[in-house]
Amino acid sequence: MAINVGYFLRESVTNFRRNWVMSLGAVTTIYLSLLLVGVSMIAGFVISEIVKSVEDKVSIQVFLKDGAATEDVEELQGWLLRDDLVETVNYVSKDEALERFKEEMAGSPDIVESIRENPLPASLDVTLIDPRTVEEMVSRIKSNETFLKVCDRPDDPEESLKYGQQIVSRLFAFTRVVRMIGAVFVGMLAMVSLIFINNTIRLAIYARRKEIGIMRLVGASNWFIRGPFLLEGVMQSLIGAALAILTVVGLQMAVLPRLREALPFLPVDVPPATMLQLAAVLVAAGVIIGLIGAGFALRRYLKV
Amino acid sequence: MISMRHVEKRYTPGEAALADVNLDIENGEFVFLVGHSGSGKSTFIRLLQRELLPTEGQIVVAGQDIVRLKNWKVPYLRRNIGCVFQDFKLLPNKTAYENVAFALEVIGRSRHVIRTQVPEVLRLVGLEDKMDSYPDELSGGEQQRVSIARAFVNRPPILLADEPTGNLDPATSLGIMSLFNRINKTGTTVLVATHDREMVDSMRKRVIALENGRVIRDQSRGVYGYGD
Repeated sequence: MAINVGYFLRESVTNFRRNWVMSLGAVTTIYLSLLLVGVSMIAGFVISEIVKSVEDKVSIQVFLKDGAATEDVEELQGWLLRDDLVETVNYVSKDEALERFKEEMAGSPDIVESIRENPLPASLDVTLIDPRTVEEMVSRIKSNETFLKVCDRPDDPEESLKYGQQIVSRLFAFTRVVRMIGAVFVGMLAMVSLIFINNTIRLAIYARRKEIGIMRLVGASNWFIRGPFLLEGVMQSLIGAALAILTVVGLQMAVLPRLREALPFLPVDVPPATMLQLAAVLVAAGVIIGLIGAGFALRRYLKV
Repeated sequence: MISMRHVEKRYTPGEAALADVNLDIENGEFVFLVGHSGSGKSTFIRLLQRELLPTEGQIVVAGQDIVRLKNWKVPYLRRNIGCVFQDFKLLPNKTAYENVAFALEVIGRSRHVIRTQVPEVLRLVGLEDKMDSYPDELSGGEQQRVSIARAFVNRPPILLADEPTGNLDPATSLGIMSLFNRINKTGTTVLVATHDREMVDSMRKRVIALENGRVIRDQSRGVYGYGD
């Protein structure tokens, strides 16, 4: 049997126009919930990129005292490299440290010029395979005897180490909270959109009860009768999804360049592939919401 | 074509709307189903359409045991049964042509089939000049002809009519009945539930009489009867 797609489309458009207030409500709630999904996905993506870049920067700097014996430094370096938590160890001399400092401070020439003698210590920069093991590694270093011999401040070894554990764990906690709040809101909005779709489809069924009666009488198959209503639910959510995608793209174009300006040292870029993925997720979520909402209404109000 | 064995239908546990109905209707027969309001005529018709399931008993329509029929197959059963009602059940926003075409459209017939069969059946019922009229522009008899055209356009082997002349005057009713007769001549089994005494008496067809849900009389070439 050839399914008449044109017939389905015509019927669902007519239904949509007949109950346009309800349909608008359904479209709006779907739009809002999908928009929230989209914005939180983009935000999540940007935040995790930032976390990643911060993680890249999480290294342990081991400051060395001036005039530390080369063989001791090399021994410490070798010991670090053999540790299974460590990825790389990089020696930074006093001169290199000063160069870096001057680069970072290029914005304030007064400070740079006021430096007569090099006040900075040499250091070993240690990067880790997993940033979450920073504290474990720090305690290992602190109990190493060579470290105590060569460190910048033998009186207070803690001061000879610099690492960024706090930033990472705070960012992790922050993203977790944001995700949870987002999920709760999205869940509630999805419920509201289901109720709205359910209602519009119920009205559509009521408005067409005569046609439905005749369709059953002359032997239209059950799916033929349900088709236009399912399509109407899906159409409403697809419109919502399309609006949400457009808004997310618009927001991204408006907000991200400013964010980039304000935070030049952080990578706040959303590649097109990610946007495509996002669009696919929103469309799929919309179709699922539409089908479920219409399905509920059909089960309850359309006896075939 | 239709066979009922020990069919019983109870809406409430106590009283039976139909009780112990046994009958066979052969291919190509013309049968009147008569009885007072509440005698079980409508229940009888709705059982055949499988709008209702019997409480007990076996019903076979067009070779299918419709009591055991799966729900999803019911639409395909109904394509074999044309139905005509007292209130016509036409869609007011569609013309006569569109009302008939709708019946073919929703069972997935091609546009080509629709364009050839709809005018043909409208000619058969004598409405070739009124194809583009809306139901409210047609008389009661003409509306009933449209609904008969819709029931018959798919050439079903069975045509059921529930009080088809209940809203029509005697002269118009006569025309409707002769239309049923013509359809019956094409080999279609026709079952008409009615309490139109003159009609039944003038047609001299098989008559099945129901009273309080039981078959009290079944005679070929019968009359409406009832002691008067």
